[in-house]
Amino acid sequence: MSSAYAHPHPRLSSVTSAASSPTASSSRFSLPSAATLVTASKSGAGQRPNIYDRNLNKTRIAEVSGSAFSFLFSEVVQYTQKRVSGINDLERRLNTLGYRVGIRVLELMIWRAESSSKASKREIRLLPALMSIHTHVWRAVFGRPADALEKSVENADEYMIIDNDPLVERHISVPKDLSQLSCSSFTAGIVEAVLDGLGLPARVTAHSTPTAQLPNRTTILIKLEKSVLEREELLK
Amino acid sequence: MLSIVRNRKATSGDLWMHDEVKKDLDKNGRAKKDMRFWLTYTTRLAMSHHLFILSPSDTPIYSLTYSSTKPAGGVSSPLSSNLPTWSTSAFAGTLTALSGASSTTQHTSGGGVRIGGGQDRHVIQMIANASLDAIEEVMRKENTMYLKNVDKFNEWTVSAFITPGNSKFVLLYDSNLKNDEGIRAFFMDVWELYVKTTMNPFHSAQRVMKSNVFDARCRASAKKYL
Repeated sequence: MSSAYAHPHPRLSSVTSAASSPTASSSRFSLPSAATLVTASKSGAGQRPNIYDRNLNKTRIAEVSGSAFSFLFSEVVQYTQKRVSGINDLERRLNTLGYRVGIRVLELMIWRAESSSKASKREIRLLPALMSIHTHVWRAVFGRPADALEKSVENADEYMIIDNDPLVERHISVPKDLSQLSCSSFTAGIVEAVLDGLGLPARVTAHSTPTAQLPNRTTILIKLEKSVLEREELLK
Repeated sequence: MLSIVRNRKATSGDLWMHDEVKKDLDKNGRAKKDMRFWLTYTTRLAMSHHLFILSPSDTPIYSLTYSSTKPAGGVSSPLSSNLPTWSTSAFAGTLTALSGASSTTQHTSGGGVRIGGGQDRHVIQMIANASLDAIEEVMRKENTMYLKNVDKFNEWTVSAFITPGNSKFVLLYDSNLKNDEGIRAFFMDVWELYVKTTMNPFHSAQRVMKSNVFDARCRASAKKYL
């Protein structure tokens, strides 16, 4: 956003400068174009704060309304569903959207935790990183830790994070013909971004694993790349 | 192994430099501005700092040059050794820097330690690029974000900062400078600005950062700490 303000489009510059004259304010409502929106936020009392002036810690306690999020997410799923050819494609796209969230979650979460400390640390070991995803990332995104972190018995490179009642799926009932679909692919994307950022590349997928008591139970399956396990051996 | 990689980077830096020189010759105004910059830069005997921000895939997305006016901790070198090297040949700096790669310090005929060897901008970019090998090696073992004195190249020292999302801040400065705490504080400031930038939903990791505010804030922080 800020870069758009810093470098206004050359064609907009004349409009922007005209805004300082009183006549421009009357045309503001008759011409609701992008240019007038920029001038509106630039002039006078309704000035929008620069992103660099905002405090990154301010929103620590503030939470987003659950219904607003559910509504937005349902729109996201519908929008995506209209543009894909199948379940796999849909899941992949949700994963990509989650990835964009995950990059930011990781950076912001660690900044809030580490920026005040004298020697800021990064997580480079696998298990502490997974534990931190299970507790800290989940708490940052969903307000509570995930329900379990398990290691696959058959495959050494597979880990599972289990959420008994994932927030993103709370108001979603998947139709029968799409029974393979898990909208937690979005969450999987977040996890994948966090692992990527920490230098532990993995393929992350979401699977519905309902039980009688917990119909929404979802497993986030993490399949780590070979290099991660090799490095882990070396660090031991 | 390392030296092979270094060679590879040196070659790519060389190509980069050719472009750089071409650009300077093509655009007259740009070259003039650079010259003026180098003049003030060298006559002031200032300690220069070069910051590069690299995206997780090692694309340079921001660079900053800042000349510190604070007194250096080490010895100050005579003026003659600081005469601008660009005046002789555009390639002189690169050549001395490259030839200096085998020996740790260079001595001019006068006996004074040569400072001018790596002061051309393309050489600096090349050193920063080559230091990535050292940084990547250290960051697999060390779990701190601030990697101080991670690499040395002639008179340049490289310190780095790795953000949790795997972006790298690379800072080149004169080896005589002892200012670890200031550099750490500077990195922390840049990190905060970087996080604020990435919070923007329209920002993508590969995009070059061209916000004026970001630039101004980085400069203010450099003035404060470096």
